[in-house]
Amino acid sequence: MHTRSKLTTFAIHVILLIGACLMIIPFLWMVLTSFKSVAESTSLNPFVLLPSEWKWSNYSAVFKQNNFLILYFNTSAMIALRILCSLLFSAMAAYAFARLKFPGRNLLFGLVLFQMMVPTQIFIIPQYLMVDSMGMRNTIFALVFPGLVSAFGTFLLRQFFMGLPKELEEAAKIDGYNIGQVFVKVMLPLARSGMVALGIFTALFAFKDMMWPMIVNTSSSAATLSSALAKIQSAYSVNYPELMAASVIAIWPMLIVYVLFQRQFIEGIATSGGKL
Amino acid sequence: MKKKGLSMLLVLMVLMAVVSACGSSGSSSSSDKETNQAPAVKSEGNSDTAEPKASGEEVTLTYAMWDSNQAKGLQTIVDEFEKENPGIKVKIEVTGWSDYWTMLEAGATGGSLPDVFWMHSNEIYRYASNDMLLDLSDRIKNSQKVEMDKFPTGLTQIYNFEGKQYAIPKDFDTIGLWYNKTMFDEAKLAYPNENWTWDDLYKAAKALTKNGKYGILTPFHNQEGYYNFVYQNDGTIITADKKSGYDDPNTIEALKYYINFIREGLSPEVYGDSERAEAMQNGLAAMGFFGSWNLSGFTANEYMAKNFDVAPLPKGKKQATIFNGLGNAIAHNTKHPEEAWKFVEYLSSKEGQFRQAELGIAISAYDGAAEQWVSSNTTFHVKAFVDMVKYAVIRPYSNTTAVWEDKAYEALKPAFTGQQTVEEAAKNAAKIMNESLATEK
Amino acid sequence: MTNARANRISKSMLNEWYWGWFLVAPTIVGLIILNIIPIGQTLYMSFFKSGDFGKGNLFVGFDNYRKLLSDDQVWHAVKNTLLYAVMVVPTSIVIALIAAVLMNGKLRGKSLYRTIYFIPMIAAPAAVTMVWRWLYNTKFGLINYGLSKLGLGPVDWTTDPNVALVSIAIIGIWSVVGYNMVLLLAGLQEIPRDYYEASEIDGAGKLRQFVVVTVPLLSPALFFVLVTSIIQAMQVFDVIYMMIDIQNPAYDNTVSLVYLFYNNSFKYSNKGYGSAIVMLLLAIIMIITVIQMRAQKKWVKYM
Repeated sequence: MHTRSKLTTFAIHVILLIGACLMIIPFLWMVLTSFKSVAESTSLNPFVLLPSEWKWSNYSAVFKQNNFLILYFNTSAMIALRILCSLLFSAMAAYAFARLKFPGRNLLFGLVLFQMMVPTQIFIIPQYLMVDSMGMRNTIFALVFPGLVSAFGTFLLRQFFMGLPKELEEAAKIDGYNIGQVFVKVMLPLARSGMVALGIFTALFAFKDMMWPMIVNTSSSAATLSSALAKIQSAYSVNYPELMAASVIAIWPMLIVYVLFQRQFIEGIATSGGKL
Repeated sequence: MKKKGLSMLLVLMVLMAVVSACGSSGSSSSSDKETNQAPAVKSEGNSDTAEPKASGEEVTLTYAMWDSNQAKGLQTIVDEFEKENPGIKVKIEVTGWSDYWTMLEAGATGGSLPDVFWMHSNEIYRYASNDMLLDLSDRIKNSQKVEMDKFPTGLTQIYNFEGKQYAIPKDFDTIGLWYNKTMFDEAKLAYPNENWTWDDLYKAAKALTKNGKYGILTPFHNQEGYYNFVYQNDGTIITADKKSGYDDPNTIEALKYYINFIREGLSPEVYGDSERAEAMQNGLAAMGFFGSWNLSGFTANEYMAKNFDVAPLPKGKKQATIFNGLGNAIAHNTKHPEEAWKFVEYLSSKEGQFRQAELGIAISAYDGAAEQWVSSNTTFHVKAFVDMVKYAVIRPYSNTTAVWEDKAYEALKPAFTGQQTVEEAAKNAAKIMNESLATEK
Repeated sequence: MTNARANRISKSMLNEWYWGWFLVAPTIVGLIILNIIPIGQTLYMSFFKSGDFGKGNLFVGFDNYRKLLSDDQVWHAVKNTLLYAVMVVPTSIVIALIAAVLMNGKLRGKSLYRTIYFIPMIAAPAAVTMVWRWLYNTKFGLINYGLSKLGLGPVDWTTDPNVALVSIAIIGIWSVVGYNMVLLLAGLQEIPRDYYEASEIDGAGKLRQFVVVTVPLLSPALFFVLVTSIIQAMQVFDVIYMMIDIQNPAYDNTVSLVYLFYNNSFKYSNKGYGSAIVMLLLAIIMIITVIQMRAQKKWVKYM
């Protein structure tokens, strides 16, 4: 019943493969460039794809210039705390917005949407002033600060909660659960895929944000991977091979986190589908 | 079971975060400097939140800059300074060019500027006129080490606002004529030299243009492009009484000469910064104009190092190149003005300036130091950059340079694309620039 | 009797109110401090000729807005921004939807596909820009090389005023497909299998299943993707900023509202005018979002 004809499967693979090739180009380019010499990296001849000589020295140079242990540390601390905050607070608010009726609900949800409509650049200086007045520059807290709450996460999870069937909740209420228990014991497990997706995006956005860490944590010992990377791109000339080597070193943890997390999608089917 | 896996992962990550939050202060002090023996070292760069230290205690200054290439060399100077001045530590903090100014702006607004930092001619007015910088005039007067007359007047003037000196020149940069030796050899042409004229440049460009290669690259760029030619032709971009010079006949003549290279097909039409460098690095154009700050990048590029060299700019009615320079400034509200001054004084002293040149960090502005710098790069004949200082013209600036520079770009664009005559575009640029200048305080 | 019942209802209602307020409190308080106050300050600034470093602001009333209305560049930017959104949003959602549905079925190597499609999101921006610059390069670029083999003339991908915005939009689509796909995949997991089984028993084909089951049940996630994609597209900045300099002949045809805001606020230190531009952008996005919130009742099926 579920099996597709061989031809369809083949066609699907062809389509997906073409897409995959397009998607993976910059990544391959990054890896190849990281082994090239500077001259090769800026050569635009379409046929010089592979480095003539694989230069590992780009990697050793990058390792010498940066203390990756600290950078990984700061980055993962920032990401972990941001995920924790955004999952916790967003899930709470999202459930309330999706299922509970209370005065001011629409207005407050409007506020959530409103935040997303504004370009993030306008928040940088005000938020810097807040962190500064707390005397918290050059700390992990400063890195987490803009991500303490997430309008994006609230909206995302609200959509997931709204997509869930109401019957379960009602059954739980009849069983004598209060609202908090319904939320924690019934609804949270069901919104798992949404939570995983939010976790992935929170990690990704935090990982890619280089402007904020660069401005608020000027000390090199409080930098993140991306802000340290941004410094390699100097104002005048860019050593692309070293920059790409640094990017490759920086990217692996993120890729592994994604691969681990995306498994949760598949497991999500088992939990939510199985119970119904 | 599966749920446990997810929560375990989260718990693990939180644990890591907590550990690293506690650990980062500890690890930072060890990473900063292995030679750190003082027990009372404050972790992280919070010199601005530290209380004023009693004598004998250690003071940590932050020194902010935007060029990571220079940071490596400057660390050596800092190390030497620290050795001579026990009790003062200097922490270099690099922020990329555009974020650097956002960082400084945030710091200035919140009162938490770095103690010592780089200044640029485009920004000095805002910082000086709003009292964000420490007035150095008296300290310079009383200093044994700093002699302002050893720096080019044009450079010291940039950082002088209403008679007060707010920063001391650190280095300077000039624009050179870069040429592809291999392409010259193939065309059997003599290399450019200091006696070249506009005519020579044109002839060479013509001879070198063949087989899909261009003889020259005249990009749509001001400082590394037409500004130089405008001043070589006795034209100007901005007059002493802050009026646009784009309607000056000499300026227009220079622009015509410059843009003509594109019209005759001797230069490709290039508009972006990275495309400019790529045109040289891919052997598309045989000659181009690039500032001395590109040196480390060009040296690192094997193709450029092998095939390229640099010469002074050609002579029009006279010789000219655009030059500019950074300054070292001190925050108005630094907690350690004495120590900060000691550091800036060292950077600006003959000793510090010669050291900077020797290490090849940048072309020191101090009289005579630049020769030291020349020997730091053996790949190219970089002496050209230093030789041009005699007749160099300061990059045109006013209080709102960034604004009218972009407006002029917009107005001149049709001249470069060929949709408008140079005259029309230049006159229009003058008009728009004057309007913008009129709103300047 | 009626009184007692009203009392009871209101008690459970009150209980719900308290829970509601309690649950949204952290997010709302955080948003107000972190974001809403700065937005208020921006609105406030838009009525001033800004001094430097927050000092010496001069009240000018609606001057910034008046200037805005007569500024050609702002209208270019509005047009470019909207055009960009029109090109990017529908295309990227359709591609992502197809990819997500294909990868959600029984398919060999689907987790590998999922990872690969996500890669553009993780790749360093410098790598992304570099690759695209190389692909688009007029003289040496791969695309023009391919075109020349087909006997087509070279295209100035990033400097031709008629083409540049399309080039930017292609990068935009390419970089956002993975994002949309992950969200839609997550949404697909919420659809109970019974629905498919039920429709199969009814004899529905795959295509019909897609229309009757998948799309309606995915509609909350689709709605989210649509709203956020539009907002993201309307805030396009990074790619244009990295690819198009002010000298570029295509600048007027590619400059976006956020780019203009960025230049005015940070490069020209004209925060007042920059703030007015943000307010214009905000107004446009708000109108579009309100329309979407209204329209969702027509097509989004919440269970």
